[in-house]
Amino acid sequence: MREKGTPPAASSATGEEVTAGKGIESGSVRARRVPWRMMNGYFFVGPAILFFLFVSVFPLLRTLQMSLVDVEAGVPKFVGIRHYTDLVQDPWFWNSLRNVLVFTISSVILHISIGMGLALLLNEEWFNTTLRNFMRGLLILPWVFSTASSGLMWTLLYHPFGLLNYMWVGLLNQEAPIEFLAKPGLAMASVVAVNTWKSYPFYMIIILGGLQAIPAEIYEAAKVDGANAWKRFWHVTLPQLRPILIAISTIDIITTVGHVDLIRMLTRGGPLRSTETVAYYIYKTALLDGNLGYGAAVSTLMLIMLAILIIIYLRVLSQGGDAGETSF
Amino acid sequence: MKRASDFRFRHGYLIHQIFIVSLTSLSAIVILTPVVWMINAAMRPIKEVLTYPPRLDPSQLTFEYMASLIENDLYRGYFVNSSIISLSTLAIVIVLGLLAAYGFSRFKMGGGRIMLLGIMALLMLPTVTLIVPYFRLAHLVGLYDTRLGLIVVNSAFILPICIWLLKGYMDAIPVDLEEAAMIDGCTRLQALQRIVVPLAVPGIVGTGTFAFIFAWNEFLLAVTLTDTPDAQPLTIGLAAFFGQFVRDWNSIMALSTITSIPLMIIFVLFQRWVVQGMTSGAVK
Repeated sequence: MREKGTPPAASSATGEEVTAGKGIESGSVRARRVPWRMMNGYFFVGPAILFFLFVSVFPLLRTLQMSLVDVEAGVPKFVGIRHYTDLVQDPWFWNSLRNVLVFTISSVILHISIGMGLALLLNEEWFNTTLRNFMRGLLILPWVFSTASSGLMWTLLYHPFGLLNYMWVGLLNQEAPIEFLAKPGLAMASVVAVNTWKSYPFYMIIILGGLQAIPAEIYEAAKVDGANAWKRFWHVTLPQLRPILIAISTIDIITTVGHVDLIRMLTRGGPLRSTETVAYYIYKTALLDGNLGYGAAVSTLMLIMLAILIIIYLRVLSQGGDAGETSF
Repeated sequence: MKRASDFRFRHGYLIHQIFIVSLTSLSAIVILTPVVWMINAAMRPIKEVLTYPPRLDPSQLTFEYMASLIENDLYRGYFVNSSIISLSTLAIVIVLGLLAAYGFSRFKMGGGRIMLLGIMALLMLPTVTLIVPYFRLAHLVGLYDTRLGLIVVNSAFILPICIWLLKGYMDAIPVDLEEAAMIDGCTRLQALQRIVVPLAVPGIVGTGTFAFIFAWNEFLLAVTLTDTPDAQPLTIGLAAFFGQFVRDWNSIMALSTITSIPLMIIFVLFQRWVVQGMTSGAVK
């Protein structure tokens, strides 16, 4: 799959020459082939690109434009950068920025470390492959559920009389049940726990794929050199996984920053706005409070921050391409 | 000498196996607890679930909560909406995705690399950054509170990953087969339809499952672009139900279970291809 980017195109060109040669005996084939060659790839790529232009790129530009406008009582009014100057002075925006940092950093660390741990277990030699695949299926299962369902499952577990509090009060003999979603410090940790549960399988599978791609000879060589399991992990596995870990942490940061549904289901930003992330703040100001222009300004700022991250990531990725690491 | 090391090897192997299997099983039990508990609460009077200690008597299990939801027109409507939205989204992204993936995989185009990079960037675009213009534009073009509106915007967010995954599969299919078909008089489109698509079936199944799960679980776009149960999918039904002041946990959990059943079935059937697609997409 790697260095295939160019050869198909090159060989399809020779393919056309061959058909042209054959076309002497069947004129109809040749007649049909000419317009195909003219339209070439654009014919296939066109529909998707047009779709993106209308449904993704145009709305994206509208976000920028709407951030400079105030739409009140249906009449748009140009306000320039006023939303942005308001934003800088808005303590709740800074609050949401701080929350999203805590939320994202802890989620990403947990996703990748739990995903790594379970992927290492699944990558070991199992006496029975069917059992291994069954376990893999069970461990992926949380990924299948909707955020809405996951939120509900966990709200039930977090309930004052739920399973977790039964363990806390009933088994550990504590006095009062823990209010997982109602205490300012704890609520964020509870939301992170649900996010970890919901999303680690994706990263586990990708890391597992990466582990399976590491050639066994490197491990053999390390064993011969007397490296123990920990040293093999540190000096062989981790460096080999580096490109994948960079990729998934970037993807993870971006998806985690964008979570609205999880917070909407679990805490609605509370208690005391301690779980209100930037994404939830956009949803709240734009859709719940109806302040579309301000919401667009927060969106734009979020886009700029993510764009910087994406550009860095694509840079890393295309540099890898020159070394033959990626499909670019 | 040989026998001794052999014995030690086997002994170590056994301990290693017990360690691996028990640790994995333990993790699986912990991880599946919320799911089991949801199903438990969907089938047992809630007074017996939310209590210390929770009762686990199997004779108390009942299907009445789920049955009463299935009989309810409102929730059947949500189910129909979710099905229509997810299946239509699936159809759109597979057709557009196959064409685009084929184009990117087989042709050298001016701007091809930039278009691919653009798709890669769209792949990472968070939904929340577009809800403001979508809300406004949907009102302007009359797609607010319609299933069609949701189908279109869902597709826009799923299509990039579909193109990416399908392109990976197509890159792995040798070009010679199509060339042979075209020498025999096939057009490009026929070659795609008769040669490439049948060979890419595992990739299409994996990508399709991915797309379906994404569309079925989508929440934010639905909450932005719909207002009445005429167009709302199940995820919104769940949130609306949950938001009510008095919480009927039995019905909520029953609805949550019913919502998840199609996903679990699809996942069990297609797990192999989903995993394959996810790994191959990442390793590149």
